[in-house]
Amino acid sequence: MIYFDNAATTKPNVECLKKAEKYLYNDYFNPSALYTEGYSVQLDLREARKNIIKNIADSERFDLLFTSCGTEADNTAIFGGAKRGNVVTTAGEHSAVYACMNELKQRGTEVRLAALNADGSVNADSLLNLVDEKTSLVSVIHVSNETGAVNDIARLAAAVKKKNKYTLFHSDGVQAYGKIPFRLTCDIDMYSVSAHKIGGIKGCGALIKRKNLIIKPFIFGGGQENGLRSGTENVFGIKVFEYAAEARYAHIADDFKKAEALRALLKSKLDKSLFTEISGENCSPYILTVGADGLRGETILHEANDNGLIIGTGSACASNEKKRYSRTILACGVGEKLADGILRLSLCADNTDDEVLRAAEILNRIVKNRKEIMA
Amino acid sequence: MEKVIIIRYSEIHLKGKNRGYFERVFALNIEKSLKGFKHETRRLSGRYLVEGFDEFQTDALLERLKRVFGIHSMSVALKVKSDMDLIFAAAKEVCSESGTFKVVSHRADKTFPLNSMQISAEIGGRLISCMDKISVDVHEPHFTINIDVRENGTSLVFNEFFKGAGGMPVGTSGKGLLLISGGIDSPVAGHMIAKRGMNIDCIHFHSYPYTNMQARDKVIELARVLSKYTCGTRLNIISVTHIQEEIHKKCNGEYMVTLLRRFMMRIAEKCALKSGAQCLITGESLGQVASQTVEGITSSNSVIKKLPVLRPLCGFDKDEIIERSRAIGAYDISVQPYEDCCTVFLPKHPVIKPTMENILSEEGKLDVEGLIDEAMQSLEVITL
Repeated sequence: MIYFDNAATTKPNVECLKKAEKYLYNDYFNPSALYTEGYSVQLDLREARKNIIKNIADSERFDLLFTSCGTEADNTAIFGGAKRGNVVTTAGEHSAVYACMNELKQRGTEVRLAALNADGSVNADSLLNLVDEKTSLVSVIHVSNETGAVNDIARLAAAVKKKNKYTLFHSDGVQAYGKIPFRLTCDIDMYSVSAHKIGGIKGCGALIKRKNLIIKPFIFGGGQENGLRSGTENVFGIKVFEYAAEARYAHIADDFKKAEALRALLKSKLDKSLFTEISGENCSPYILTVGADGLRGETILHEANDNGLIIGTGSACASNEKKRYSRTILACGVGEKLADGILRLSLCADNTDDEVLRAAEILNRIVKNRKEIMA
Repeated sequence: MEKVIIIRYSEIHLKGKNRGYFERVFALNIEKSLKGFKHETRRLSGRYLVEGFDEFQTDALLERLKRVFGIHSMSVALKVKSDMDLIFAAAKEVCSESGTFKVVSHRADKTFPLNSMQISAEIGGRLISCMDKISVDVHEPHFTINIDVRENGTSLVFNEFFKGAGGMPVGTSGKGLLLISGGIDSPVAGHMIAKRGMNIDCIHFHSYPYTNMQARDKVIELARVLSKYTCGTRLNIISVTHIQEEIHKKCNGEYMVTLLRRFMMRIAEKCALKSGAQCLITGESLGQVASQTVEGITSSNSVIKKLPVLRPLCGFDKDEIIERSRAIGAYDISVQPYEDCCTVFLPKHPVIKPTMENILSEEGKLDVEGLIDEAMQSLEVITL
């Protein structure tokens, strides 16, 4: 089986699971408990916090609150950071941000959507034009989960702050953390990350935020995470996250290069007469999004699946929605016919050239055959 | 004092010499629906008594029984020895704390010293004397206390009637094959026909890989909901992928749905005859979509050679169907966003009033029998 849906989730890093196993069987204590064993776990969490931040930001200037997933981190940032006035986001956000924006709209906040470029990145001029003195929050996805387009969030955040220094800047970094070499700048106030996209387990995410930034919590209870996210911490999940992040960042640059080569090979082997490339040049090396004109992506997904290849048709998180076409893909200016046949091929550094060649062969064969049937 | 459930049946009492048959099937269905619960069922004249169950499971038992066709109404009663003090204690237990009431008594045991009028008067009088917020109103009481003095020296005391599912016991009106799509209508159609006593098998057509496993599982879930009312069902699943591809390749796209439905009806009839089903059941509602115009129905109906096709929803509006779908617990499953086979090759403008001449000319381009035989090879049967 060839797994090319690493943007949906990744295979857990077994070594990290083993290393963190003791938090399931031995050090199972509640980190908020006052006895030595509990306090010891709390110290281990503190260590995890520091290590997860240090990969991407200066831990003197940033801190972190653990959440149950990337979606919760986005929700915390948006509902905690947005105030009256308006918020600005892009037409290419993950549902975790997009749905929050819809909810804010329901609650009376003006939501402004910036247009996308053809590759799925945000149009910077469009975004900046929407920011004014009443903008309380801007949220821009770092790496598009659908097209892989990389937004230059450091530059965008600086430009937003220049227009309104009180505006908070948030970015969903779920597809970037552990994959794209990058450091958070002081203009970026909040950054969402998720464990299971980098070899951790599902049920664990975090919101990295600028120190001293005050946001409102929306989960109340025992006051964990400085009162910003009550609930007993998922210690095992967090420790696996820490170890997985460490493992990723130990060779992030090498993996990046490997992924670039794999992606380039895949791109070159896919039959250009069958596939239209949606991902642009400035794209994550881990994601290649293509469209099979006139076909339905899901049909190809099932057939590829039957042939031992697992791929995505876009965001796995959107497959529960009733809409047939991806709003992000349509916002890139792609017509409905092509938008129907979108395939997202997402890699990891462990994939091999052989897998890429076999995957390309399977996809070329299936799509050619389907196109003949549907002609 | 023991809690029991009284079950009264609906139309069965209208039956003549074959009443025994209906009663046997009815009793069997009650037993099937209560499978897994500790209980005993006894037949009284014109009703059944469920007893010996754990009291905390009363609501769960009622919930199961509410799905059994043939039940007119049910009551949760207290069973006591036929002694006026014990009957009074039970009456006090079921009596509301305030409001107007009356007592209605039946005395099957003619050796009981008081007649029914005297029982009602005595119990009513005792209740008033010990509860100061209740008063008698025999015309429009807020609640009625019923006392049933049975022949076997026990009495049943209750104050509530729960409506049953009505209809006839499933299995007394033969067997039908329901074409189930995954939408809102077909489970409702199946439910309505099952209510008249018919055993229901289901048949579903899918178009994998154009449709997904979730769509298939959704249909299994819908069939499972239906099976709760029909004491089990068999779901036949058939792939029509190649048929759709052939129609797409060789015929005018506007006729996709019309032609496909004719294939489905043919395959359904074949399956029905094979499994001993005596009719087909569809969820068609006149004029609801392009294929359900009278012309569309004529087209799909004309391929059926031997069996009648029951269309219980023909005169229903969508909102009426939705209401029924919610009531039977199918709606939330039906509205899950997975597509069934019909939408995959859906033309932008399907033909609304197909003429037989055009249909036959389009169909003539296909190897109908060959495609049907091939589809039959994909048959998968799931027993629920």
